[in-house]
Amino acid sequence: MSSLPTTYDGVAAGLSLLVLLTEFAMLRAPLLRSQVRLYAFQSLVVTGLALYVAASKHVDELYVLAALSLLLKVVVVPSLILRLLRDADTDLAGSSVVGTASAILIALVVAAFGFFAVGSLHVNSSSLPTSSLAIACAIVLVAFVLIILRSDVVSQAIGFFSLENGVSVASLVVASGLPLIVDIAFLFDLLVAVVVFGVIMRVHHARNATLSTSDFDRLKG
Amino acid sequence: MDLLVVSPYGVQAIQVLTVLLGAPLVSGFISHVEGRLQGRRGPRILQPYYDIIKLFSKETLVTNDSSWVFLAGPIVAFSCFLTVPLLIPVLTTFPLPLGFSGDILGGGFLLALAGFSVALSGAESGGPYAQLGASRAMTFGALIEPTILFVIFAVALITHTDLPYALSATIRSSTSQMVRPSHVLAAVAFFLVVLVDTGRVPVETHSGTLEFGMIDEARTLEHSGPLLALLKWGSTMKQLILYTILINVFLAPWGLASTGKLSSVVLAVGALLVKAMVVGLVFAVIDNMFSKLRLFKITEFIASAFLLAVLSVLVFYVGGG
Amino acid sequence: MSVLVVALVFLPVATALATWFAPARLSQNLSIVVGVASFAMALALLPRASHSTVTAGGLLRIDALSMVFLLAVTFLYATTAVFAKGYLAPGATANERLYGRRFYAGLNLFCWSLIMVPLVNGLALMWVAVEITTVISALLVAIDDTDGASEAAWKYVLLASLGLGIALFATIMMYYAGTAVFGASYSLSFSTLLSGAVHFHPDIVRFSFVLAVLGYGTKMGLFPVHTWLPDAHSEAPTPVSALLSGALLAVSFYAILRFFQIAVRTLGPTFPRDVLLVFGVATLLLAALYLLSQRDMKRLLAYSSVEHMGILAIGMSFGASIAVVGVLLQVLAHAAAKGTAFYGVGSVVRKFGTKDMSKIRGGVSALPWSGPMLVLAVLALSAMPPFGIFRSEFYIVEGGLSELHDVIVAIFVMLVIISFFGLSWFTTETMLSEAPVTVSPQVSGAVVVTRGEVSYWIVAAMAIGLVALVILGVHPPSSLMHLLDRAAAELGSVR
Repeated sequence: MSSLPTTYDGVAAGLSLLVLLTEFAMLRAPLLRSQVRLYAFQSLVVTGLALYVAASKHVDELYVLAALSLLLKVVVVPSLILRLLRDADTDLAGSSVVGTASAILIALVVAAFGFFAVGSLHVNSSSLPTSSLAIACAIVLVAFVLIILRSDVVSQAIGFFSLENGVSVASLVVASGLPLIVDIAFLFDLLVAVVVFGVIMRVHHARNATLSTSDFDRLKG
Repeated sequence: MDLLVVSPYGVQAIQVLTVLLGAPLVSGFISHVEGRLQGRRGPRILQPYYDIIKLFSKETLVTNDSSWVFLAGPIVAFSCFLTVPLLIPVLTTFPLPLGFSGDILGGGFLLALAGFSVALSGAESGGPYAQLGASRAMTFGALIEPTILFVIFAVALITHTDLPYALSATIRSSTSQMVRPSHVLAAVAFFLVVLVDTGRVPVETHSGTLEFGMIDEARTLEHSGPLLALLKWGSTMKQLILYTILINVFLAPWGLASTGKLSSVVLAVGALLVKAMVVGLVFAVIDNMFSKLRLFKITEFIASAFLLAVLSVLVFYVGGG
Repeated sequence: MSVLVVALVFLPVATALATWFAPARLSQNLSIVVGVASFAMALALLPRASHSTVTAGGLLRIDALSMVFLLAVTFLYATTAVFAKGYLAPGATANERLYGRRFYAGLNLFCWSLIMVPLVNGLALMWVAVEITTVISALLVAIDDTDGASEAAWKYVLLASLGLGIALFATIMMYYAGTAVFGASYSLSFSTLLSGAVHFHPDIVRFSFVLAVLGYGTKMGLFPVHTWLPDAHSEAPTPVSALLSGALLAVSFYAILRFFQIAVRTLGPTFPRDVLLVFGVATLLLAALYLLSQRDMKRLLAYSSVEHMGILAIGMSFGASIAVVGVLLQVLAHAAAKGTAFYGVGSVVRKFGTKDMSKIRGGVSALPWSGPMLVLAVLALSAMPPFGIFRSEFYIVEGGLSELHDVIVAIFVMLVIISFFGLSWFTTETMLSEAPVTVSPQVSGAVVVTRGEVSYWIVAAMAIGLVALVILGVHPPSSLMHLLDRAAAELGSVR
């Protein structure tokens, strides 16, 4: 590389990287409660990234967005899920199909694939460096790995929410000028999705007294 | 004093001597601080010197079944540890004459060779604990090698060269380099590598000899006398070498001598030792904060280090970060 | 005109709210009235949409393409409401009343969200509308409190939400492609995007299109992200299954078509068609094979829906105008046929008390009206003349041959025939077989029932569906064909 990246690029890419590392940490978090807390931390970092972009690039709409996403993703969603866990009171430890080290290696291969897929696009954005988009793609793919390898509803739901975090990072990179009304619509949608997830999780728990999906094999063929 | 300029060969010799003589000091300092943090008085800072001198005067006992490998192992390791300081930036910012004889990959190879010969001699002795330690050390060593390789790749990518001198020059050129994500990741990954290679918590504890968790400690159980002295000395040198790479290549490459003047060389020696002791202090604090991982969890730990190293390379590739 | 559009938006929502509070009988009738009214409004808008676009504010827009899907959705709204009146007996206990309230409010709300998808103007709003359909339908799938329903609902909501997450990524990437032309901040309305599409960066549009096919394809039921479909469609209450199969899959296809429309302008026709071809053939192959081994009636119909979605994708990949007309006609005909089939299956399930095909014998003799009509509906699904699907698949094949895709057409016909075998096995085994009064029930395991219809409302709904199919097959109205031609032109197909 002939030019060295600026401090802004470095910090922004660093924050995106922190989001990705939190995603990897979720792979090894054994307790469901710690997964929820990791998700809250991840949302906090995403909010921080939004604030950083807003402050450095003078996009005022992002302040509103950051405030809303802070409220929703750091406060409301984790507390809803923690309440579900408290009510469920049965399984507190998540389950994984393969061991942690293998999970990390699989996720790493998948993330590398995402990196190179996006890197070949030569995206040049004014708001965030290209590496942030690649990192966002990696976050989405690792969230997929998390969902596939876990066999309980809460881990899968957290995986889905962290996937949304990855898409948020991507939207900060390429679509920071997206009209505010659209961003708010997305966030509201997320809230509704969370509520529905919660309802169905409770239904599942009420019927089977467990949060595990290991006996989800009745419908086959 | 300013009239005295040391020739490059002299500086190189001083480099080796610094590592040779300064390593037990750093090790003693770490043990002392650890003791203090635990509320004890802690051993004397110069204790490792006394131990080494004492061991040189003891006799060597060898089991019946071992061969020349048992005797050669510590010597091979020690000579490797004497060679590596020639290759890495210990005291100076400019490459020294013999420094071109091997790049950072060569340095890594020599360190691995040293570890291998110690483990081999331990396994060769036939003692159960030594064999246990040797096999464990080799297993984890094999797992940590890919991480070291990726860290080296990251360094090489950032500076387009394999010479560790160039990376420290890049870091010195602007502080914003420090926040580059790939640099931070590579530094953290290497920090974890050092943690594993010097056998600190959460991989291994120094304070006891539990066979459940011993890795590096166990390899040397069968040696005695001067050979044991060489082994102990060598392990302190390895520690200082790894610290030096961590400091002078990744973290804080300031205070190095840019010319051959004697005053700046002496200053560089002092700066290195002080910085090494600070790093040792960090490790001691970590020692007292965390508990040791169970053996099968160590693979998770190493996988995390590997993850960071790979991400460092990937982030660099994609975004120039 | 825009008054009608706005009415289409508000009427179903208001009905949903009303049904929550109204007594059961009123809810049923109100739903039927509003359903029929929606269909009538859509028909009233048809002539205008064939010539130009109808807009209301900047947020709502109907062009020929969205008109097609609007017709399909409102038709199913009307007939499903009629069916539901016959299928769900208004219960007396508090639990049943609560179920009825939830069901009708959910049904109207679901139909409202389905209407919204073709109505909104813009990729982002479209995503929001599809997300709303997901959350409401997930609740409706879980409404029957059985083990199977809760499992199906969880799989559905998780996979569909994942797909929509990818679709969101696709929307954002398409937005980014537009920033090169329109600047950092602009609205994602269709007219804006289509006007600037030629100048978008091709790599990014390619990436976005593939993500959109994967993401919205999850909701459409394309292979390999279709796995939730058989479970959700079989475990949901039958009226909901009819809407899921006939309308929800269609509006997800509509979302893909909007991306297709943009991608064709940027990349030319080759790449988008190839992508759809790959997914379409894989989907059709999978569905055809699975159809041969089904034991559950509703699951069978669900796989038939997967088959038809594959056919739609393959048809779009042929590219000829006649093939695209066939695809759009198939959207309408499939809605009618699948709806009718599900209504018939609902009637059978009510009669025999089970979905298991091994226990059902002699359907035609047990249900004198809905039995034969179910057989006709399943034949319609297998592209039998004189029904609409025959005409639409004929157009698709004709389009494929005219564009010299001979190999694909051959594979297509073969797989459709295999699906026909699967469906016909069902028909002969359950419907056209001997009634178990003459065969000893202990031997065959079949359920013995008395002869007679479950409800004439169900018969009415099925009759309407079949009439629509015959009209579409024998002589589709010229205004409709005009609409389909215009929609095909909007999609950028060559003559």
